Amino acid sequence: MNNIITVKNFTKTYGTFKAVDNVSFEVESGSIFAFLGPNGAGKSTTINTLCTILDKTSGTLMIDGKEIGQNKDYIRSVIGVVFQEQTLDVKMTVEENLKMHCHFYRVAKSVINERIDFVLHLVDLTKWKKAMVNSLSGGMKRRVEIARSLLHLPKVLFLDEPTTGLDPQTRANIWDYIVKLQKEKGITIFLTTHYMDEAEISDKVAVMDYGKIIAFDHPAVLKKQYTRDKAMISSIVPEQLNDLLLQHDLTYAKENNRFIIEVNDLSKLTAIISEHQLSITDMEVRKGTLNDVFLEITGKNIRE
Amino acid sequence: MRIISALCMRNIRLFLRNRVQLVLILIMPFFYLYLLSTIFKSTDISDPTNYVLSGIIIIVVFQTSLNIAASTIDDMVSGYMKEVLVSPAKRIQIVIGQILSSTIIATFQGILIMIVGCFIGLRYGSIFTPLAVIVSMIFVGLVFSAFGLFLATSVKNSQTFQITSVAVTTPITFLCGVYVPLSLLPNGLQYIAFLNPMTYAASFFRALSLEKLSLPLNELISDQLAFKAGNLIITPQISFFVILLFGILFLILSTVTFTRVDFSKMNRTQMSKDIYNQ
Ligand SMILES: Nc1ncnc2c1ncn2[C@@H]1O[C@H](COP(=O)(O)OP(=O)(O)OP(=O)(O)O)[C@@H](O)[C@H]1O
Ligand SMILES: [Mg+2]
Repeated sequence: MNNIITVKNFTKTYGTFKAVDNVSFEVESGSIFAFLGPNGAGKSTTINTLCTILDKTSGTLMIDGKEIGQNKDYIRSVIGVVFQEQTLDVKMTVEENLKMHCHFYRVAKSVINERIDFVLHLVDLTKWKKAMVNSLSGGMKRRVEIARSLLHLPKVLFLDEPTTGLDPQTRANIWDYIVKLQKEKGITIFLTTHYMDEAEISDKVAVMDYGKIIAFDHPAVLKKQYTRDKAMISSIVPEQLNDLLLQHDLTYAKENNRFIIEVNDLSKLTAIISEHQLSITDMEVRKGTLNDVFLEITGKNIRE
Repeated sequence: MRIISALCMRNIRLFLRNRVQLVLILIMPFFYLYLLSTIFKSTDISDPTNYVLSGIIIIVVFQTSLNIAASTIDDMVSGYMKEVLVSPAKRIQIVIGQILSSTIIATFQGILIMIVGCFIGLRYGSIFTPLAVIVSMIFVGLVFSAFGLFLATSVKNSQTFQITSVAVTTPITFLCGVYVPLSLLPNGLQYIAFLNPMTYAASFFRALSLEKLSLPLNELISDQLAFKAGNLIITPQISFFVILLFGILFLILSTVTFTRVDFSKMNRTQMSKDIYNQ
């Protein structure tokens, strides 16, 4: 598979402040790439530079095989962007916003109406076509922006916190069709989010902190590497369980007669238990989540 | 072309939707006309009503074209400009679209007042005069739209802009010989008036609409169509070139600043910017 985005030694400074510090990564064509990190990590700065809105300080950034500095017009025509902040034309109607976008991206006039109906249907806003953007709720505005970013059928879609402020229904819906877009149209999706569960669907996750990428892999691999599964077991024969665990070098903590065991691989534990037919009265298992990964590598301090 | 016309349509639509503004811009000039005609009767100008009315028309063109600054700032603050700038539209197309739409709106306003003016005594001797008047409204509109866009891109911040806008438009409006005759201004203010581009725009426009471009010099002066800046007598023709130069200058300036400006900062307030810079 080829890479649609290549970033090498990218640095961006604001004055003397290094917002992004010598970052390199690649995004495979047609994949979903999630960019995670605490507030101020440099995610939006990276996205805005890739979108040609900001100029890099140094490094090489390429989209679709072209260096972005020299090919701004080309890059702009093949990407779709939903910025972190609202960028709708609030004094116009939904339809006027979408039409304007089509003109800017030179979408063939004959397909404009059909495209608009298609994207509005996608975000379930067909009824609101003639409504003023001002009269929409925050979540509806966000959906209009997502619809708008798809009008010109971009190759790469940048979504900077697309679901912030949306209700669970809308979030679920939006992810449904983001995945659908990726599967059916082969669009590469580059997203940032603070909802870790949303990043689970991605093919690669990059965690950024203080302008540096500190982890980069498939979510499952990261979970494996940074988290341990937790099992909480109650037994009617605690002594027996105690012996068995020690025998297998498994340390545990005990809390109200419950054994709390942290393991790298749960299957090992279940194998031991089933083999010895211990009388288990209750067993609760907690798998490591991406949220645990995130807290593990970025720490728990709130960023200023 | 498509981008430019789409931008024009959008801005014009935005303008037409603002009914209150539309009515106000139409009523205010006649209020001023009523007020000013009395003042100007105390000078030796031969036809004060027409003299004042032609000045007011050009002031309205000026004020309306400067609105582009406010609406561009609005687009930056609301974030919409980011959507425009991330699109494949060329910056120069955006500049042209903004300036053209503003010129169209300003000329439209000017024509409206001209039409109403005809009912209250505005007369043209030749049918070519109104055409020439419209052409020069377009010209003045272009000049001050470019100026307005330059202001907007240099300020980029709505609070600063409000102050700047008052600081810039008030002297331009009141020290150009339209509301107060230049000859009645105190000496110091007269010098400021000579630096004011609107003085030249008004002077040329007035001579043109009063059909007195070819009057001999002493009559131009007595009718306050030409004026003395120090030892130099500024005829309407000289005024035309002054305003032309001013227009070209700001057309270039606004294009350059608009293409170069770092729009990434425009959403951030002044205060948070300071925090980041610490
Ligand atoms: N225009 C700017 N001028 C100065 N500093 C800036 C500017 N934009 C961003 N920064 C700083 O750069 C750093 C990275 O900001 P960025 O917006 O990229 O963070 P982020 O990862 O998107 O955070 P969040 O999750 O809060 O959106 C922050 O410390 C921010 O203060
Ligand atoms: Mg951000």
